[in-house]
Amino acid sequence: MDPIRRVGVIGAGVMGAGIAAQVANAGIPVVLLDIVPGAAEAAVARMLKTEPAPFMHRAAARLVACGDLDRDLALLAECDWICEAIVEQAEAKRALYARLQPVRRPGAILSSNTSTIPLAALTEGMAAEAAAQFLVTHFFNPPRYMRLLELVQGPATRPEVAARIADFADRGLGKTVIACRDRPGFIANRIGGHWLQSAVNHAVDLGLTVEEADAVMGRPFGIPKTGVFGLLDLVGLDLMPHVAASMKAALPADDPYVRAMREHPVILGMIAEGRTGRKGKGGFYARERGPGGERLKRTVDLATGRYRDSEKPVLESLALRDLRALAGHPDRGGRYARAVLLDLLGYAAALVPEVAEGIADVDAAMRLGYNWRYGPFELIDRLGAGWLRAALAAAGRPVPPLLERVGEGGFYRVEAGRLEAFGLDGAYHPVPRPEGVLLLADIKRRSTPLARNGSASLWEIGEGVACLEFHSKMNALDPGTLEMLGTSVAMGRKGAFRALVIHTEGEQFSVGANLGLALFAANIAAWGEIEGLIEQGQKAMRALRDAPFPVVGAPSGMALGGGCEILLHCDAVQAHAESYIGLVEAGVGLIPGWGGCTGLLRRWAEDPRAPQGPMPPVAKAFEAISTAQVAKSAFEAREMRLLRPTDGITFNRDRVLAEAKARALALAEGYAPPPAPAPLHLPGASGRVALGLAVRQQAALGRATPHDLVVCDHLAETLTGGGRDPVDAVTEAELHALERRNFMALLRLPATLARVEHMLETGRPLRN
Amino acid sequence: MPLYDAPLRDMRFLLDELAEAGRLRALPGCAEVTPELTGPVLEEAARFAREVLLPLNQTGDAEGCRLENGVVRTPAGFPAAYRAFCEGGWTALGADPAYGGQGLPRSVGLLVEEMVCSANMAFGMYPGLSHGAYSAIARHGTPEQRALYLPKLASGRWSGTMCLTEPQCGTDLGLIRTRAVPAGDGSHRITGAKIFISAGEHDLAENIVHLVLAKLPDAPPGTRGISLFLVPKFLPTEDGGPGARNGVACTGLEHKMGIRASATCALAFEEATGWLVGRPHKGLAAMFTMMNEARLGVGVQGLGIAEIAYQNAAAYARERLQGRALDGTRAPERPADPILVHPDIRRMLLTMRAMTEGCRALCALTALEHDVSLRHLEPEARQAADDFVQLMTPILKALCTDAGWEAAVLGMQVWGGHGYIRDNAMEQFARDVRITQIYEGTNGIQALDLVGRKLGAHGGRYLRRFFHPVLAFIEARQDDPAMEPFLLPLAKAFGRLQQVTAELAQRGLRDPFEAGAGASDYLRLFGLTALAYAWARMAELALPRAGEEAFYRAKLATARFFMQRILPETSSLATKVLAGGSSLREFADADF
Repeated sequence: MDPIRRVGVIGAGVMGAGIAAQVANAGIPVVLLDIVPGAAEAAVARMLKTEPAPFMHRAAARLVACGDLDRDLALLAECDWICEAIVEQAEAKRALYARLQPVRRPGAILSSNTSTIPLAALTEGMAAEAAAQFLVTHFFNPPRYMRLLELVQGPATRPEVAARIADFADRGLGKTVIACRDRPGFIANRIGGHWLQSAVNHAVDLGLTVEEADAVMGRPFGIPKTGVFGLLDLVGLDLMPHVAASMKAALPADDPYVRAMREHPVILGMIAEGRTGRKGKGGFYARERGPGGERLKRTVDLATGRYRDSEKPVLESLALRDLRALAGHPDRGGRYARAVLLDLLGYAAALVPEVAEGIADVDAAMRLGYNWRYGPFELIDRLGAGWLRAALAAAGRPVPPLLERVGEGGFYRVEAGRLEAFGLDGAYHPVPRPEGVLLLADIKRRSTPLARNGSASLWEIGEGVACLEFHSKMNALDPGTLEMLGTSVAMGRKGAFRALVIHTEGEQFSVGANLGLALFAANIAAWGEIEGLIEQGQKAMRALRDAPFPVVGAPSGMALGGGCEILLHCDAVQAHAESYIGLVEAGVGLIPGWGGCTGLLRRWAEDPRAPQGPMPPVAKAFEAISTAQVAKSAFEAREMRLLRPTDGITFNRDRVLAEAKARALALAEGYAPPPAPAPLHLPGASGRVALGLAVRQQAALGRATPHDLVVCDHLAETLTGGGRDPVDAVTEAELHALERRNFMALLRLPATLARVEHMLETGRPLRN
Repeated sequence: MPLYDAPLRDMRFLLDELAEAGRLRALPGCAEVTPELTGPVLEEAARFAREVLLPLNQTGDAEGCRLENGVVRTPAGFPAAYRAFCEGGWTALGADPAYGGQGLPRSVGLLVEEMVCSANMAFGMYPGLSHGAYSAIARHGTPEQRALYLPKLASGRWSGTMCLTEPQCGTDLGLIRTRAVPAGDGSHRITGAKIFISAGEHDLAENIVHLVLAKLPDAPPGTRGISLFLVPKFLPTEDGGPGARNGVACTGLEHKMGIRASATCALAFEEATGWLVGRPHKGLAAMFTMMNEARLGVGVQGLGIAEIAYQNAAAYARERLQGRALDGTRAPERPADPILVHPDIRRMLLTMRAMTEGCRALCALTALEHDVSLRHLEPEARQAADDFVQLMTPILKALCTDAGWEAAVLGMQVWGGHGYIRDNAMEQFARDVRITQIYEGTNGIQALDLVGRKLGAHGGRYLRRFFHPVLAFIEARQDDPAMEPFLLPLAKAFGRLQQVTAELAQRGLRDPFEAGAGASDYLRLFGLTALAYAWARMAELALPRAGEEAFYRAKLATARFFMQRILPETSSLATKVLAGGSSLREFADADF
């Protein structure tokens, strides 16, 4: 299969520009054209300032060649794939395709990023050769972060074309590619758009407040906590009528989606007033300033359209954990849940096979395209198919044939340790995993852990490789995690496995040490216990590094504080591109205590490309740790030396474990642990004074708070070797002792405890 | 008649020496709180308690209250005593000067309350409840409500109540049935039945301001749907006088074991006019701010009874002649030695004394923090002080009332059979104080409050306000041999408390039943450790002056007794908590 070497994107709107950025992130040169002169350049410039950033690193932006459609069409001649992302009008798109025909090189692939227009409409009148190279590639917003790509082939599309794009999107761009039938809205927006409409309707009809509706939709359904109204605020209220019009034109009039479409005067009024959501003057939720300048949280009253103070929803049904119990509760929260569930699940069950080959594709699309925790068929399994059939029948609604057919079984089952899905033929089939995808979830279904406690587990993942997985809340590190690290090393030493991978499939790798435990212990002045835990952690990190078998860290999501320190002590890291790594302890008034200061210092000291001498590595580590800097991608982590140049980066999260395992096996051949770390020449007291001065200049400029200064002084003392003479070399043991001492000194300070408490209660750092 | 001499010397010591009087006087509005000011106040309070309130204690108990045609008559002498109490300015002691109060800090107010409770706990109920109503309106009322009601409550012309309990609903206030319906003019119509309402109806004040928990028509279920209403017995007229009778009536008086001179009423609200205090559905939060104060006040009731029980037991033990001392005759000229010489009598007296003085010291330290939390200019200092009060409130409520009951029972024991005879009044102390362990949240509820709410709040921040200063105190005196007899036991108990706190918090997080199972023993473990801290601090103050004055000599000796003969209880308490709750859980319900 020919690799994709160069990509063209037409249309520098949010989607087009975002797709171009993600292609550039993958290291592929990309041409970005827009009909408006200068718009592409402007889009790139805007993206460099956007948060969350579309680019993974600044160098990626240099891979984007910008141009004007009319003037620079010829730039597309070199592209292997041209992705169109212009205005959602079939005619305009077709006209563009015609213009591309003479420019496009033979064999180049053309796709549209349309979200609603069927492929058949786009290929009308297209030459057979062009139609064979055409497909729909539907990205989700924002293209870097949303993992779903809906892919639609037409009857004329060559299978190799689809396979080539799918492979690039999967390995190169990190997307999960779901094949969709050529139906309006494909899978996710068809089901998701209908759900949004239905959820708004029922909230209005049943008299729920915005907060109540979002709370019911949120945790109980496994939908992000934005719920329905928060989501509309996020995507923009004004988008709803557009999507509705487009879907109405494409769907039969008796489709439940079309029948659910309803204009709500309150919402129309909000759009007319420019209250279109977060991008506008607030939406269903708004922040206002009160008469005294105080911040007020306000919410729209769905009956009047006026703002009122936001209220925490209080419904008895909301306390219910079980979805079925919720849907059976008589209060308005329960009635709402039931009404939305019947609409959503009844519709979804009726759409297979119209929109997708199987139920697993539908569930994956909703999970990845809408960030739902459960797809519709997984929700049905939670409720029971029989319950849903009875509920639909009781409401006088048709029961979809697929739902009839599944009988008393679920849509999914685990057979001989494998996940199987109910097929249209009435039989269960294994849910396919692409080659090169290894999921811990699958391994856990078919085996028992080698070792386990409440915080972490150790799994055999084949070929003599073990995987250590964290599973405490947010994968925070606690005494149980440390104990499991120790157990893993001990088992590896006894030959229970050849190599160890540290990986988790949750949202985060690890958010670091369990601050709640630390704070409580500090509040009861249990200083001895805390210092013991710091020492135990340092020991565990050293044991990991010095183990007689290779250890490969495989992070995805946040690897902060202690999570980062684990990675610093691995032999190699195979990181998901979306890894957010950093030593963030200063944010809570502390310094890294599990070898993080020492580890990062050593990375800079041993980097031949970095400036040499005692001071530069100290200055670099000091800058990163004192500002609690977090890498916003694996590439940034490399720049910060939190990853080595030799550490791998994987774009597709589902492939991280397999690639980490391959890395571990490669290292296991003739593995010898790294040599004992050489002592470091550090600048001593003079370096500490220099860092202190620099920080006080920052403070004078208002960039450092009083407690920042205190934290920085303790950090400076640690990194400079604790006032040693610069000719002395400082050993790792001495540096670890310095980390411990300064960590403990900081933890005793009320200002540090106030920071920790604030972080735990608000999730934000306190600037004291 | 029992005797009572207010422990003014001890109170002075606490106010001027232990509670860092400098810290108190640095607070806004407290610069004048010098010994020159507080001395006469406390002496006058002591005189009033002894001369006016004490003589009515036994007669009030014997006579009780009567309900006649919907009107409650308090015992003879009570109306006159109440008038004198108001005229003396005692109801206005802690009230805001803006409303006619004297603005004295809680540090002083609590001492006065103790004297009132010692002399006549039942009488103290009437102004005590007004105090709670005053606080609730001061903190949550509208400016109009404050202007209308606070001066009346401060002067004592009107009194107050707290109407929470209903026949079906005690601790679990989510079950409240009393309804409040908006009348359309800003007021509400309140309908429902309340029971156990102290001072709910009486003949002492010209009007009674009921603070009533009720539910609005759109109230969410449970405790999140409770609102607080102000319902006066007589609707105020334009000029603020008592006007038309409101729809609230006393339908019965409870016949109680003790505090029989306190009118405990059943009240019927029938479309009574009331006004919302604070925000709709936020009544419980409003009630809780004053409940904290009230709980501290109940602790002081226990303390007051403990004090008078001790005084009368000690006096009796000095006079009563029985047997000879085990270590040699003391009074050969008399037929027998006073029972004071017997070790077990001494054990009882010293237990009473050590607990009473320790609790008083802990109350004083907490009252000081309370004043800091209300008056300090720095928000951080206010918060730190409030944290301490939050933490100590359930501990003090339970610890002091248990100490009150224990002292009352020991007092009877010292008196032997005569303690069981009504005329001697020792049994009245036991009957009166028993309620303090029950009302305002039973002591079991206090323990749950401590373990369930206070321990985990803000990651254990409340705990910091106790653990950090105590550890600092211990560490700073480690090299002082004179302090060793006090410091070593304190450090040991402190270490135990640390260990048990960490363990209980961890177990409780996993399994709330475990937290509940250990709660009461944990509270006492905490309380005794806090007492050890108070005693160590008092001992430090007494050490250099023990040769000068009997007061300090006794202080030091009592501190030793506490460390040697009371504090070791923490060891068994820790063992009990750590044993866990399995034996409580596993016993079959049917086998009870």
